Amino acid sequence: MKVAVILRLVPDVVEELVIADDGRSLAEDEIMYITNELDEHALEQALLLKERRGARLTAIGVGGDQARDALATAVAKGADEAVYVPLEAQDRADSHRIGAHLAGLLRQERFEVLLAGTQSIDELDGSLGGILASHLGLPYVGGLAAVDTDPSGSKATVKKEFPGGRLAVLEVSLPAVLGIQAAEQPPRYAAVSRIMQVKKSLQVKEWKAPVPDVVGVRITGLAKPEAAGRAEMIPGDAESVAARIARLLQERGLL
Amino acid sequence: MLAEASSTEVEGGRGSDATKAFLGRLSLLPGGDRIAACLQCGMCSGSCPLGYAMDMNPRKMIAALRAGRVDDLYRSDSIWLCVSCYNCSYRCPSNIPITDRLIASLREELLAGGVGVPPELQAAFEKTARYGNPFGESPKKRDAWTKEAGVEVPVLEAGDSADVLWWVGCFGSFNKRNRKDTVALARLLNVLGVDYGILGNDEWCSGDLRCTSQGEEGLFDALYRHNTAQLTTRKYKEILVGDPHAFNALTKEYRRLGTPLKVKHYTQFLAERAPELRRLMKQTMKVKVTYHDSCCLGRRNGEYESPRILLETMPGVRLVEMPRNRENALCCGGGGGANWLDSFIWERTRVPLPVLRVQEAAKTGADVLAVACPLEIPRFEDAIKTSGLEGRLRVREISDMAAEAMSLSGARLG
Repeated sequence: MKVAVILRLVPDVVEELVIADDGRSLAEDEIMYITNELDEHALEQALLLKERRGARLTAIGVGGDQARDALATAVAKGADEAVYVPLEAQDRADSHRIGAHLAGLLRQERFEVLLAGTQSIDELDGSLGGILASHLGLPYVGGLAAVDTDPSGSKATVKKEFPGGRLAVLEVSLPAVLGIQAAEQPPRYAAVSRIMQVKKSLQVKEWKAPVPDVVGVRITGLAKPEAAGRAEMIPGDAESVAARIARLLQERGLL
Repeated sequence: MLAEASSTEVEGGRGSDATKAFLGRLSLLPGGDRIAACLQCGMCSGSCPLGYAMDMNPRKMIAALRAGRVDDLYRSDSIWLCVSCYNCSYRCPSNIPITDRLIASLREELLAGGVGVPPELQAAFEKTARYGNPFGESPKKRDAWTKEAGVEVPVLEAGDSADVLWWVGCFGSFNKRNRKDTVALARLLNVLGVDYGILGNDEWCSGDLRCTSQGEEGLFDALYRHNTAQLTTRKYKEILVGDPHAFNALTKEYRRLGTPLKVKHYTQFLAERAPELRRLMKQTMKVKVTYHDSCCLGRRNGEYESPRILLETMPGVRLVEMPRNRENALCCGGGGGANWLDSFIWERTRVPLPVLRVQEAAKTGADVLAVACPLEIPRFEDAIKTSGLEGRLRVREISDMAAEAMSLSGARLG
């Protein structure tokens, strides 16, 4: 069985995000990139699948040069193969363009299971997993908290989280794209010396192709949230609080 | 001699190759081969403040290694219960560096063998590797505290020089509860007219990870390489550190790796200037103080007097000792990465060491528990709250007390 996991590099919000002079993008030299958190969970789930089912695991790093570091970490944790998909800064937050682009690569290599984080912090136009599945004509299910496959690799049993603490157990025919919300266990640790060792000998395959010019989302402007410091606590029982909220909304022309 | 002969021969059977390989790696470290001299007397385990909670205490660890059973240690939680208090290392009649070499190497084994680390500590490792500090704060904000200082704090760029390079440390730079003490030290240095500077955002965690036996050797090496590259581009006569763990890393481990540095803890630096400080201390404190010897400054590096000299220099300070003081001091429970293992350790002990320590401090009748290690500020403050001692006992860094005695406290300087 062949399993692939997509590691999308996203801006690290530990660093302050600075809006560039064009008013429509982030200042590239101020950004530190980090692997999307849910993609780290997708990687952990993929590693568990590898251990359980003896799968061959390919990590696909998408973004700038920092994706190479993410790939080295993935291999240090146990991935078998690393593929780097370089992406210009302006394409990195666009799930439609990334989806169309990756579909070109993933049509060539047949994976039974394709894992990605169910969402990424920089996506503006929907989940990459779903978009990718539509390009590849595969089923997609996201919001997953566990994945296992049958020994033949023809179907997967997944656990999907719903609001309110409900959990569904679903069967998905493979190949499929699966969006991971949380791996069955927290992402494991790769010791720094192991990552360094991997970096010395790692053969990263690079996939270069023009990014398809599909329309995802066009950003017309970026602005920082305005800081406001006013809050009013509405006292009373549910009835009177609801009536007051309705009145406030009417007064402000929102109803 | 008898002990040495028996220990170098690991008994045969399963796991003995792994054990031999482990002992081989251990013997390459300074003092690592001392493990062969273990008498199995049990002093280490009896003096360990958490030995009672260990299924494999240090004596048993060494016995297991002699029996060729390093795998037994992989399965034990005990390795993560060590808080690097150095009681075992300090008391061992055979001078075995149990904390710095045996425990650290075992942790390395667990990391290299993919056994993993407790999750809180894993997060601290990952953040340190990524941001150069264990809190996951932006490295660009390391020098943000200087804006609160009220005095000019020079940042040394590559090529700059000063008499003293002040290594501020992660807690002192980022942790809100330590920053006032950092500011206090900055003001003291200014008043004393010291020609100093800091590395600013080029400083990363000193990497006292390995030395405090967290066992992440690769991470320690990466931090060492970054920091020494920064240090070599600045000119200075000595390094001043606020954190005893950085003091230890810079004096001992950086030297071991080929970078000898002249380093002073701030209490040593200030104690040398005690007569001058005394003349500047116009404010009478009227306070009863007990001093907590941090393990890293005390048992690990033998510095007991400088902090006491400073406290006795302050007008109106009456110094009283806790029954367990100097080399017998009880650990705050935060060393060796244990600051990031509190819940892991609590689940297995239920008795937090900092709570025991603040109770000891309160029994002396002291108003202030004075400390010289930044970890102890948040640890003891929390312990005071949980043990109901709020209002009776305060934790204070010695730098902050000295600044008060010199009327340098407060939000802004006049």
